[in-house]
Amino acid sequence: MKSYSQQSGEIGEFSDLPFWKKANSVDLAYVTYGLLVVTLVIASYLLGAFKLLPHDPQDIDLELMMAPPLTPKHVLGTDFMGRDMLSRLVVGIQAYFLPGLLAIFIALFLGTILGVLAGYRGGKFDTVITYLTNLIDSFPRLVLILLVIAAFKPDIYVIMLVVGITNVPAVASLVKGKILFLKQKNFIEADIALGLPTGTIILKHILWHNCRSILIIQATLGMAEAILMETSLSYLGFGVQEPTPSWGNMVLAGSNYFMKGQFWPSTAPALAILFTILGFHLLGDGLNNILEGKRDK
Amino acid sequence: MKRILVVLSVIAALAASFTAAEAAKKKDGKPDGGTLNYGEYGRPATLDPVTSNEMISLRITELIFNGLVGINEKQEIVPELAEKWEVSKDNRVYTFFLRKDVTWHAREGEQPKPFTADDVVFTYHIMMHPKTITPLKVRYEFISSVEKIDDSTVRFTLKRPILNALAKFSFKIIPKHGPANSDYLTRDDPFVQHPVGTGPFMLKNVTPEREIILVANDNYFKGRPHINQFSAKPFADQNIMTQALMFNAIDMIVLVNPRDIPEIQGDKRFILQPYNALSYSFFGYNMKNPFLADKRVRKAFTHAVNRQEMLDSFFNGQGTIISGPFAPGSWAYNLDVQPLAFDPQKASSLLAEAGFTKGADGFLQKDGNKLELTLKVPIEKESEAIKRVVLAFKNYLKNVGVDVKVEFKEWQAWKEDVFLEHDFDIVFASWVFDDSADISSLFHSGEIGPWKNNFGSYANAEVDGLINESKLTLDHEKKRTINRKLHAILAEENPYTFLWTLTNYTAYHKKIRRVAIHPYKFFTFADEWFMEDGK
Repeated sequence: MKSYSQQSGEIGEFSDLPFWKKANSVDLAYVTYGLLVVTLVIASYLLGAFKLLPHDPQDIDLELMMAPPLTPKHVLGTDFMGRDMLSRLVVGIQAYFLPGLLAIFIALFLGTILGVLAGYRGGKFDTVITYLTNLIDSFPRLVLILLVIAAFKPDIYVIMLVVGITNVPAVASLVKGKILFLKQKNFIEADIALGLPTGTIILKHILWHNCRSILIIQATLGMAEAILMETSLSYLGFGVQEPTPSWGNMVLAGSNYFMKGQFWPSTAPALAILFTILGFHLLGDGLNNILEGKRDK
Repeated sequence: MKRILVVLSVIAALAASFTAAEAAKKKDGKPDGGTLNYGEYGRPATLDPVTSNEMISLRITELIFNGLVGINEKQEIVPELAEKWEVSKDNRVYTFFLRKDVTWHAREGEQPKPFTADDVVFTYHIMMHPKTITPLKVRYEFISSVEKIDDSTVRFTLKRPILNALAKFSFKIIPKHGPANSDYLTRDDPFVQHPVGTGPFMLKNVTPEREIILVANDNYFKGRPHINQFSAKPFADQNIMTQALMFNAIDMIVLVNPRDIPEIQGDKRFILQPYNALSYSFFGYNMKNPFLADKRVRKAFTHAVNRQEMLDSFFNGQGTIISGPFAPGSWAYNLDVQPLAFDPQKASSLLAEAGFTKGADGFLQKDGNKLELTLKVPIEKESEAIKRVVLAFKNYLKNVGVDVKVEFKEWQAWKEDVFLEHDFDIVFASWVFDDSADISSLFHSGEIGPWKNNFGSYANAEVDGLINESKLTLDHEKKRTINRKLHAILAEENPYTFLWTLTNYTAYHKKIRRVAIHPYKFFTFADEWFMEDGK
């Protein structure tokens, strides 16, 4: 009888174990924390959207400016206009949620199309697309955004449009790399030999079965990117504008008081930014390791 | 440490060279010596008196340059580069006799050049050249010609006699050998970065960190200033500037952030000194919006806003509520006109009178059009105080049913929207005045147009008439009466909601003595300041 042996490296790819059983426990912890953050973000978004808040985040109380945390009715204190910090913190996520999704969508959609064209078709397409993505990559992103703001006005959707477009090269090159790798595998040759339509090969066999994980990972990183970008812009005064709260403009407003010992108006949103971005990055990292099998158990 | 040593040795070298110049010492018995480091919020673009248009450069040029006439602490006109003058009977010809003992600061490796009438003529021509970009041009259009009689005599002929003309000859004189281009001055000329003047201090250098270092001019014609060195340290953050003062990294802050006043007040090492700038803040309305063209609406807005509460909450109450268009503290301001009271009831009834009714969403509307207005605000470096006022304003108007949308814009874009396109409903801004109490450019209908100051397109025949009359009259009392009337009319018309004038504070270490401050030029009397024990 002919013995059949398989190299150990391929077990991961072809075994029938569910992915969470194959995964390293550290990765699982990462992903659990990441999913917790995502849940909190979505919950905050819904709370804000349905106005289930302790206070109206725009209610000004000049009698009670800069109240410290644990003041009655204001668990996290108030800001420089006497507005409730907790409500503003919860509503602050709205500044990122939909705009962030827009940035992610643009990056993934355009990035995938360009990546597929460059990788699958290759040739002239590849040359042109590589030039294009290099061109976009060569602009300093912050400068580009500041230019756009000067030309139009500081609007978070406009900013996220730019963030999305500048993220396209990263996604495109990942997808292209993956496709170049897949093209060496036999199944695509088999697909073509079987006469499957190109659309099915690309959409189903390449993108759905083989690229889905890198796209999910890019999406989680994209959200972190969006939050970070808005925060940097807010610190320069160009992010989401008052009276609409965003974590970035809350940090900015609070920073004026940090030196004087009134730390809460900047610390609360800063911690929110820290834990949220950490969550999205760990989620991306964990998923990358689990779905792409980058780390052995 | 190395750097500190270098600085110390430079100071020592300077001190050694100064002892040689005993002759030019001031004879008031106060000690010479010491370095004064002062903090400025931001960096000046230029250091010359012609192209500069912000307060930081204005203060520096005050140390480096002189005018033909100056001003003393009692706000009287005193001789400076001109030792005396004659005015013709028809008040149209001014002849200045210049000092003969004045020299320009010497550039490295050069002998100091004497100051002559040529420099005065040169300064006037360069200032008025069409290619020179300067805010001063409008101010000197009343001069018809200038001629040099001899090296120390110069004669100005006016187009028409104007009141208080002498005060206008305080413009700073620059040397003929200064600018590289002797026809006009732009910001590309090396002179604007390395100016040469006649004043008590000369520019030594600008460090790579943009710290501006000025050293005493031994040959200053009023006697060598007491303090050896002034250095302007730029700060990008006001909090850090205050902390720098607290930790003795700087000795003086020119303009203290109102928020930090209590902290400095409680510290015995420092002196907090108020000075009144001739300036005020306001909300300006665009008459091109039909809603705002109705003066009842504008008056209602003024009634709806609690100005005292804002002043108390945001500026520690350090200021005065104003009622009209003139700089408070100027002779033109009419104290009999009281600011409109905070009265939301009155505001609502005025709006009802103007035909507004409450819509389904709680906001006022008229003929199906919602009373929805855009308030455009520039994103500025110190935006917190502005942000507070703007947000509070939005809140006050919301309480009477007006929906104000706040739109923050980048500075250049904001200027284009307001001054060029006139695309706004409300703006929040401030005017800073010189002492002339001239408001013609703000409210005269002839000043409506691109890049002109009447950006709200306010037009009122009576106001136009009074402004013209005030410009032509030469009688001080009559002019005062006209301005009082103007004040009363504009207070009632509310082209702006006039807000307040803030009391500015400077803070400095006690070791700096005899500090007298000019309301907006600040350093006018700095040659008289001295450091305790000369350190």
